[in-house]
Amino acid sequence: MNGNDAGTGAPTDRTPEHTPQAAADAPAVFSVRNLWKVFGPKADRVPGSEHAGLSPEELREQTGCTVAVRDVSFDVRQGEVFVVMGLSGSGKSTLVRCLTRLIEPTSGTIAIDGEDVCGMDKGALRDLRRHRAAMVFQHFGLLPHRSVLDNVAYGLEIQGVGKAERRAKAAEMVEKVGLAGLEDRRPGQLSGGQQQRVGLARALAADPEVLLFDEPFSALDPLIRRDMQEEVVRLHRDEGRTMVFITHDLSEALRLGDRIALMRGGSVVQCGTPEEIVGSPADDYVRDFVRDVPREQVLTVRRAMRPAAADESETGETLDPTTTVAEAIETVARTGTLARVVEGGRCVGVVDHRSLLGVVAGLDSSRRAVA
Amino acid sequence: MSTATTPARAAAARAKKTEPEAAAGAAVLKALWARPAARKLLILAAAAAVLVPVAAATHGSGTWPSAFTVDLTKPLTGASDWIIDNRDSHWAFLYFFGHVSGAIIGAVHAVYTVLLALGWAGVTATAALLAWRVAGARVAVVALASFAACGLLGMWVPTMRTLALMIVAVAVSVAVGALLGLAAGLSDRTFRALRPVLDTMQALPAFAYLLPVVLVFGIGVAPAVLATVVYAAPPMARLTALGLRSTDQGVMEAVESLGATGRQRLLTARLPLARRELLLGVNQTIMMALSMAVIASVIGADGLGDRVYQALSTVDVGSALAAGIPIVLLAIVLDRTTAGAASPRSSRTTARTRRATAWAAGVAVVAAAALTAGAKPWPDTWTVAIAAPVNTAKDWMVDHLYTGIPGIGGTADLAAHYTAWVLDPLRDGLQALPWWGALLLVAALAWLIGTWRTALTAVLSLAAIGVLGRWELSMDTLSQVVAAVAVTLVLGFAIAVPAARSPRVERLLRPVLDVFQTMPQFVYLIPVVALFGIGRAPAAAAAVVYALPAVVRIASEGLRRVNPGAMESARSLGATSGQQLRQVQFPLARPQLLLAVNQAVVLVLSVVIIGGLVGGGALGYEVVFGLAQGDLATGLTAGVAIACLGLMLDRVTQPTKGARDGA
Repeated sequence: MNGNDAGTGAPTDRTPEHTPQAAADAPAVFSVRNLWKVFGPKADRVPGSEHAGLSPEELREQTGCTVAVRDVSFDVRQGEVFVVMGLSGSGKSTLVRCLTRLIEPTSGTIAIDGEDVCGMDKGALRDLRRHRAAMVFQHFGLLPHRSVLDNVAYGLEIQGVGKAERRAKAAEMVEKVGLAGLEDRRPGQLSGGQQQRVGLARALAADPEVLLFDEPFSALDPLIRRDMQEEVVRLHRDEGRTMVFITHDLSEALRLGDRIALMRGGSVVQCGTPEEIVGSPADDYVRDFVRDVPREQVLTVRRAMRPAAADESETGETLDPTTTVAEAIETVARTGTLARVVEGGRCVGVVDHRSLLGVVAGLDSSRRAVA
Repeated sequence: MSTATTPARAAAARAKKTEPEAAAGAAVLKALWARPAARKLLILAAAAAVLVPVAAATHGSGTWPSAFTVDLTKPLTGASDWIIDNRDSHWAFLYFFGHVSGAIIGAVHAVYTVLLALGWAGVTATAALLAWRVAGARVAVVALASFAACGLLGMWVPTMRTLALMIVAVAVSVAVGALLGLAAGLSDRTFRALRPVLDTMQALPAFAYLLPVVLVFGIGVAPAVLATVVYAAPPMARLTALGLRSTDQGVMEAVESLGATGRQRLLTARLPLARRELLLGVNQTIMMALSMAVIASVIGADGLGDRVYQALSTVDVGSALAAGIPIVLLAIVLDRTTAGAASPRSSRTTARTRRATAWAAGVAVVAAAALTAGAKPWPDTWTVAIAAPVNTAKDWMVDHLYTGIPGIGGTADLAAHYTAWVLDPLRDGLQALPWWGALLLVAALAWLIGTWRTALTAVLSLAAIGVLGRWELSMDTLSQVVAAVAVTLVLGFAIAVPAARSPRVERLLRPVLDVFQTMPQFVYLIPVVALFGIGRAPAAAAAVVYALPAVVRIASEGLRRVNPGAMESARSLGATSGQQLRQVQFPLARPQLLLAVNQAVVLVLSVVIIGGLVGGGALGYEVVFGLAQGDLATGLTAGVAIACLGLMLDRVTQPTKGARDGA
């Protein structure tokens, strides 16, 4: 790290603990296959019919149905932050609600730890919502007539936890999200950021396996939003809880996500690490989307390096393969010479002025295509 | 994109094809057809052209044809006789109605006994304590002063009787209304079924509810309470349903996402979130119940209303005022207390223990007051008899103000002129209107403002009046209503416009409107009788005064809430204030202004009907006459005619959402 950490202009300042590799082999918590959600008359006939391939406009004209989620499949691995991102109307909020069946999916399967969610009866579903997956909402969804402490304790109250116990647990959570001293306030007396901290504490109080975030920071102003994002990063680092995070903000997605699923018109157009999304956009829509992202801050030297020539693997500074290009530029500019990329004690390649600039200029994708 | 453009393009193509072929007359017709209002009138004119000659030829063009009337006197008298004969023997009365009536009488008596046992000091202290804990110290002082005033006026016992009746009626109304509202709030089907019924009930004058109850229960306290419940429960049901249905969806979703069961969702989220509406419902119910409890003196409710009623029937304004003031004070105390409970208070962080201590201290004070003063009604020596001086003042007014004031005449002259120059021609005109013309007029008005459904309901209601054989009297009532509504609207808009434009006028006006809006209709009859004597003019004056506050409030609020962006852009384009008013505020506030008209009609009608008590004649008098003579057939048909008239007037002035798309 180069001390550039606190720079406000940088859209990403990912910590090393936060690497995509960490969760790559972990088992899937949520496993979603061929999920459809169609609103409208006789919606259940649309998936699998000849209408399934139509564009949203044509579908609406022919069947009167609106498709919100279209044949979506993905896995959320244990311990990762899985970001679903897309513009408004892309179906991302519907998708996250389908996970705990707040919105009933039209077809497809959802499994949590291998257990079928769609087949759950009322009791099992309630149990899932109470103990295994808790949600944080864009507009907080706090009960205005209860104090902060009682709001945080609400989930436990519903579970039937005794008053003393749930209050103690709630106080602990309030402390954890940095609201100590405000326990007796009403939600109406708090700022938006504080209210969302209450929402977060309420979700955490049940100690769920997965946290679901539905655009939690969209209603907050930019500085508060950044604070809250750091709070989430910190929580994730401390607890390693699995998170599904919905957002329409690309920089938020890149900052928080281990993996990102990019949605458009109900379908996932690309699913991958931030580096894959920015470095190898799947189509023109994604390319257009990530065009303004400062590439050097997302892409790593793994992408910029070239094989070392015979004499190059012995000298020069060493870099980890997860180092961002921006950091490598700093090293190379300081030393004036190339730097080695070392993984497990072995030199896997080198970066120099030319290769690094190539990444910044966006030449790497074409070069890769040639290679 | 394609969805929007294809039909438009197709329509354009069609238009291109037909245009050259169409004759000039057809083009004019088509231009008219394009405007929904003109289209409706065209359809109606076409229908009229076919039907009217037939109707006129077969049944004449005068009043409602007798061939279409059904004489209900015999069956109704028969039914009422049967009920009177079987009241003590038939099982329905023995095992159901008898128990209902017995329970009500028992409950009222029990409450009254408790109030007597508390004594004047205990009751006053309890009222002040409740007001203090629920709505704050200021309201507590108002309560204290009000109850003391009731005692001072020598009206303690009637006040307690009215209060006992009110307490029972409100408790039942709130329970019934909350249950209905709960059902409608949770089930869409119940809501759809219940809403038109509640809407209609709200538009009907209180008098219409009296007779069916009397038919079954006779005259007495039990029917008075029941009529009150029927009248006062709808607002509670309405607001409960509204509150439950309008809870923040985000909160409800969050609660569901935490795994709450259906019951938990209702008890911990939905009901608390609807708290404001629920308390507002209680407030509305109390106000409606009070106004009805007073009117119900006509069917045997004793207490304050009865005193006013008796005094008015002998034109004893002083006694009427002495009984009327406690009604007003009771209304103000009850309204402020319940409204105070409903309004959100900034911070209610006072510790539980402190609240408990305050309650305990209050209860101790009440107990002490009740013990020291003993279970006694207000001491006779502490009363001030205002009846005699008021009557002296009234006599002076009769001598000096009624007539002969240079320049403006006098109040009696004014009333006579209003009757002779406005009411009589209007009544004669309406009565001379051919029956099919009246139907057509109503259809046109209702359809232009609302939908074909409202038009149909309005026409059918009017026809029902004819069928019942109440056409002439209803036209008399209608003429009084129309004239009073016109006066109300002119005055109301004249006040509303400055109130909407100047915050200072609005601030001055608000407390006045607040007080006026809490008073029961009955009370307004007292001053107008003092001023104008008896007849149709005082009834109209009372109606105008009663309806004015609501009209001013709704209209000025509608004008003030006009989109500020639109106002600003009009100003920036250099519009004069007149232009702003005409071109921006009036068109944008149209729904609110129409609502004001609708309210004016409904409120005016309710008072015009009560005006039957002070010589207003027409349908209201028929009801009173029917009740007084035990001639239920007369009273009942008049009551149904009132209901039909109310329904018709409400539908004619009811703007609905569908009106916009011309559906």
